[in-house]
Amino acid sequence: MKDIFQDLFNKVFGFFRQAEKEENAKDTAVNRLRVVLMQDRTNLTPELLEKMRGELIELLSKYVEMDKDALELNFEQEGNQMALMLSIPVLRAKDEDEIEDQDDEKTSSENPEEEEQNDNSEDAQDQEPEKENSDETSEEEEQKIEESNTNQKEQKSK
Amino acid sequence: MSGRVIVITSGKGGVGKTTTNANIGTALARAGKKVVMIDTDLGLRNLDLLLGLENRIVYTIVDVVEERCKLKQALVKDKKNPNLCLLAAAQTRDKTAVTEEQLKNICEELQKDFDFILVDCPAGIEQGFQNAVAGASEAIVVTTPEMSAVRDADRIIGLLEAKEEIKSYKLLLNRVRPNLIKSNDMMSVEDVVEILSADLIGIIPEDTGIITSTNKGDPIVNDETSLAGKAYNNVARRIIGEDVPFLNLEEDRGVIAKVKKFFSGLIGKEK
Repeated sequence: MKDIFQDLFNKVFGFFRQAEKEENAKDTAVNRLRVVLMQDRTNLTPELLEKMRGELIELLSKYVEMDKDALELNFEQEGNQMALMLSIPVLRAKDEDEIEDQDDEKTSSENPEEEEQNDNSEDAQDQEPEKENSDETSEEEEQKIEESNTNQKEQKSK
Repeated sequence: MSGRVIVITSGKGGVGKTTTNANIGTALARAGKKVVMIDTDLGLRNLDLLLGLENRIVYTIVDVVEERCKLKQALVKDKKNPNLCLLAAAQTRDKTAVTEEQLKNICEELQKDFDFILVDCPAGIEQGFQNAVAGASEAIVVTTPEMSAVRDADRIIGLLEAKEEIKSYKLLLNRVRPNLIKSNDMMSVEDVVEILSADLIGIIPEDTGIITSTNKGDPIVNDETSLAGKAYNNVARRIIGEDVPFLNLEEDRGVIAKVKKFFSGLIGKEK
C-alpha cells in the first residue's frame, strides 16, 4: 500500500518537475541562434574553441586543481558586446611552493629550447607581448577562481 | 530629380523578397511617387508574375545592357498605376550577363526620372547579390522569425556593413504569426530585433491573402481590407519619412475575442 502511494507521489512530482524544466521552442531557437551567430560573426569554429579550452586548462592547472571535465567556455551576448565566459570548478588552489616547483621543472626542461629561440631575436620579441597578455588573463581568472573558492567554502560551512 | 535606390535583399530564399518588392513599389506608386522596380534575379525572374505583367515584357535588362534597345523602351508600365514601372530580368540568361558596373549605370540613369528605384535581389551572397547591391545606397533586409532566415539575414547585414555605398539598412520582419509568438513557439519581433540589432522598418503578418494576390498578379496593398496590405502600406509611408506606429497584429484576434465575449455574455444571461 505504501509503495503504491510512493509510486504515485513520484509520478505526480516527476510530472511537475518535467513541466518546469521543459524549455519552450522559442527559447530554444533564440539560444541556438545566439551560439551559431557568435561562431559566424567571430569565425571561431568549434575546433578552435576546443583548442582554446585545452590551452586554458593547461595554463590554469599551474595554479589550481580543477574539475577539467566540468570547465565551461561559452559566448554570451550583452547588447552589442560579445563576452567569452569561462567557468572553472576549482577543487583546490595550489600553494606557492607547488607553483614554484612546477616553474623549476618547466624552466629546466625548456632551457635548451630557449637557447635556440634566443638566436632568433625576432621570435623573442614576438613572444613578449603574448606573455603580457596571458598574464592579464590569468589575473582575471584568478579573481574568478577566488570567487568560486569562496563559494565552495560557503557550501562547506552549510 | 535624384531618386533613392533601395535594394531589397535577404540571403535566404523564400522569405518574401519579391512579394515585399512588389508591395512596397505599388504602395509608393499609390502614394504618388514615381517608382521603377528592377528584377535582378536573372534566370529566375518572378517580379513580373507578382505584378501580373508577365505577358507584357518585350525587352529585359540584358537587352538594355547589350544595347538591343533603349532603357526607356524596356520599362514595362503597370496595369493599374501609371507611376509604376518594371525593368524585368532575362529568363534565359544567368547572373554573369550583367555586371556590377552596368547595373550601377542603369540605376544612375533611372535616378533622373524616378523617385524610387527598388532593386529585387536574388537569394544568396554570390555575384547576383553583389550586382544588385552595386547601384544602391539603401537596403531593406527581409527576414522571417525562423532560425535559418535570421542567420542568413545576419550574414547579409555583415556584408552590407562592409559596403561603403550602402548608407543605411533596415529590417523587415515578414510572415509573423502572433498566435505562435503568444504561445512561445515562435521568436518574437523583439527577439529578432535584439539578435540582429538592426532598425525595424516593418512587421508583416502571415496572411493567406498573399497567396491569392500572387495568383491574381495583384499586390495585396491594393486590397484595403487586408492586414498584410496595411502593414506594407505603412512600410512605404515610413520609407517616405512619415512616422507611422507599428500595427497591432492581434487586432483581428481582438475581433474574435469580442465575438467570443459577446457569445459568452449571451450564455451568461441564459443562466
